[in-house]
Order: sequence, then structure tokens, then C-alpha cells
Amino acid sequence: MKNVFKLLTLSILISSESFGQLYATQSGEINFFSETPVENISAVNKTVGAILNIATNEVAVSMKMSAFDFPNKLMQEHFNENYMESEKFPTGIFKGKILEPIDYTKNGTYDITAKGQLTLHGVTQARDLKGKLTVDNQKISLACNFDIKLIDHKIDVPKLVFAKIAEVISVKSKYAFTPYKKK
Amino acid sequence: MKIPVQYHNTFLPFLIVTNIMKKLIVILLCSLSIQAFSQDDLMKMLENETKNQTEYTIATFKGTRLINGQTIETVGKNQLNFWISHRFGALNTGFIENFFGLDEARIRLGLEYGINNQLTVGIGRSSQEKMYDFYAKYKLLRQSNTMPVTMTLYGSNAISTVATGSSLESGTVMRYKDNLERMTYTGQVLIARKFSDRFSLQLMPTFLHFNKSETTDTPNNMVALGVGGRMKLTKRLSITGEYYYADFNRPASSLYNNSLALGFDIETGGHVFQLHFTNSRGMIERQFIAQTTKSWSDGGIFYGFNIARSFSLDKKAKELHK
Repeated sequence: MKNVFKLLTLSILISSESFGQLYATQSGEINFFSETPVENISAVNKTVGAILNIATNEVAVSMKMSAFDFPNKLMQEHFNENYMESEKFPTGIFKGKILEPIDYTKNGTYDITAKGQLTLHGVTQARDLKGKLTVDNQKISLACNFDIKLIDHKIDVPKLVFAKIAEVISVKSKYAFTPYKKK
Repeated sequence: MKIPVQYHNTFLPFLIVTNIMKKLIVILLCSLSIQAFSQDDLMKMLENETKNQTEYTIATFKGTRLINGQTIETVGKNQLNFWISHRFGALNTGFIENFFGLDEARIRLGLEYGINNQLTVGIGRSSQEKMYDFYAKYKLLRQSNTMPVTMTLYGSNAISTVATGSSLESGTVMRYKDNLERMTYTGQVLIARKFSDRFSLQLMPTFLHFNKSETTDTPNNMVALGVGGRMKLTKRLSITGEYYYADFNRPASSLYNNSLALGFDIETGGHVFQLHFTNSRGMIERQFIAQTTKSWSDGGIFYGFNIARSFSLDKKAKELHK
């Protein structure tokens, strides 16, 4: 009975501890770039939230569209008011699963593919995003670069400014995960 | 586990089973501590973290001017706006004589610059009375999920530079002894709220000080209250209205009217085009709030337009994307 009691208390202690398998960040960085012969547009969001479950390889990313910072404030206003309609669709989301098995106990860099759903401007697209995951003791970092086609997410560009905005936007994202502590 | 010898034969199978069961229960409890998280649970956890961030309202109005007067909007940091404001003559001045007013023109050219996102400074020059105006605008409060309105302070000094002995639109001849007499100061506390994606409303309590008043019974200080708003029709098109009530302490003998303007805004990339009808000819506060001579009721309506062009004086976009 004594042994059973010991095992019981141990298992209760394990379950009440903060989730050892979750890694998260609230300072993920995403920047995007639109290049045309007429004008270049770029912006960066430094408060992207992301969470990674190392037991199941599931990952979720969430960002506020209004947190994208442009050097040109008028561009920022147009981005939110006319293109992304940020008051109607305030967040951009990705939820998916990393397909490759990763040994999180071994330090190293792995090429990964995250398969999931990308929701932007209220429109969801199934995407396979390729990236690099680096394990360095308790720190996990992830870098993922991909393209977004504006028509895939019903982002309209009026004919008047057609030449100024690229149809395909290149996006670079990086996250530095640390163990998740629930508040 | 020690079993008493006499129970060995009968109770042994039972004891073995309970032993295994106890171990199973322990294993089950241990495995419960590794919980299963679906992707939606992960998303909910993320959303909880970002829930308490302040969200500021943007684009209450499409520009820094409503029609004649100012809005709560300030110019973005390191951004320069170039304004061309044009007023034709009054519609009731006849077709042959004045082509319904299109033969005449008054212009104001202006520049305004955003020192930072809250502070804007600007200068302008009007052809009417050859007036220069210098102003500053400071956004004190921003509408957000915790603040119901945006509040911006506006202050300006307008200097008339016509030759002394020239007459105002009302016919009064003004004689200026020195440059100070040519100045009029305006102060406004602009308060606005964006009620929905389409509708914004603004109140403009205004204070004017004339260094030299027009007549002996015209006060040097004047108070006015403006109300204005805009309704978005499509993403880039909206209708606007602006009314200034200035009869608080105007003498009964005054021939001046309150200013009413109705307009139409079109936004394209870096330009905002504002087309409007108003009974005020002037484009500076002193002129349209305090000295409007015409009225809507007898066709004293001026057609006019404002064009604002935005230039960004900030570093090139390419540097950011490395």
C-alpha cells in the first residue's frame, strides 16, 4: 500500500505541474515584402504569438493584423482599412502539425514541413509551410519563409494601384520558443 | 507482497489480480498527467494571452480636414501632406455674368508635417485677403477599447497681409495700424468618435480671438460650436457634412451667417479628393466660422474642392526586409 501511495502522489504531482510539453512565445516576428517596379512595400509585426506542442508536433500561430508596423503611416492605414479590413478580421492564424518526427532531446537543426490551415482576411487556405527548426537545450527556434497570393485570401487590389502592389507577397517569420508557463 | 501461508492456495489468484490492478491504476493516473491538446486548444491558449492588448481605432476620418475645418486626424510620423483647396464663386451670381461662379476662384495652398504620430504642424496661404495661417495639432486622446473618443487640440494664428484700407467680403474697410492687428487666433478642442466602420461623428468647440474686430460692436472674442460627420459609402468613397454655429455672442446687427458644408470624399492611394458645396468662401477658421456672408437659402452656395497628396519622408521600405 505504501508503494501505491507513493506512486499515486507522484502521478498527481506530475499532472499538476506546468505542461512540460508546451513551448510558446509572444514576441514572434513576421515581416512581409511586396516588390514591384513602381513601389516596394514592407512591414513587420513583432508581437506574434505562437505555441508548439513537442509531444504531438502541433503548432498554432496567431497575430494581430493591426500590429504590423509600416514606416509610411498612410500605408499602414490603407493596409488595415482598405486591404486587410482589420476591424472585421483582426487576426491572422495558422494551425497545423509538423510532419517530420523531431527528437527534442538532441540539439540540432531540422528541415521541417508544417501542414495546416492558414486563415487571413477571413479566408482559410490549406498550406504546407517549409521551415527550419533548431533545438538548443530549453530553447526551440523556428524560421519559416513562405509566399502568400493575395487572391487566395480575397484581398482586393483596385485597378488604380495595381502596378504598386505585388500579386504574391513574400513572408518571413521567426519564433524563439521558451517553455510555456500558464498564468 | 507477503501472503500468510494458510491462504496461499485459495487466495493467490485473487491477490495476483488485485496486484496487477493496483499497478494498472497507477499507470493510468500517470498517463492522465500527459494531457492531449488539440490544435484548437492551442489556439485558445494563444488567444487568452493576446486578449488584453489595447486596440486603437484607426481612420476615424480619411484626412486631416473634414470640409472647411479640421478633423481629429493628425499626420503620420515623417509624413508630409500637400493641400490645394479651391473655392469657385457663388452659384447665384448668374450664368452669363459669372458662369454660376466658376469664373471666380479662391485658393489656399498648404503643407502639413507629422513630427510624430500625435503632433502635426502646418502652414498655408489663402488668396482671400492674402492670409497666411500657421497651426499645430496635438492628438491628446486616442479612441480604443478603453477610451470612447479621440480628442485633438488645434491652435492657429492667421495673418491677413492685404494692404491696409482693403475691404472684407462683407464690405467693411479694415485699417491696420500694425502687424499685430492683422492676426486672428483660433483654438479648438476636437472630439470625435468612430461609431462604426462607416460612421464617424465630431464636435468642434471653437474659440476665436480677433486682435482687431471688424466694427465697434463686434466682440474681439468669439465662441462657436461645430458638428460634423462622415458616412462611408464604399471602401474609398464617403459623404461628409460640417456645420458651425457661431451666434453665441454675435451682435444682432451682424449680417454674417453660420457655415454649412456638404461634401463627397474620394480616396485613391496617396491622394484624397474632397468635393463640396458650402456657403462659406473662406478656407481659414476666421473666415468660414466668423465671416460667412452668403446663405444656402438664397443660393449663395460655393462649389469647391480640396486635394491632399501624401508624401512619406521615411526610410525606404526595402531596408526592412532582410
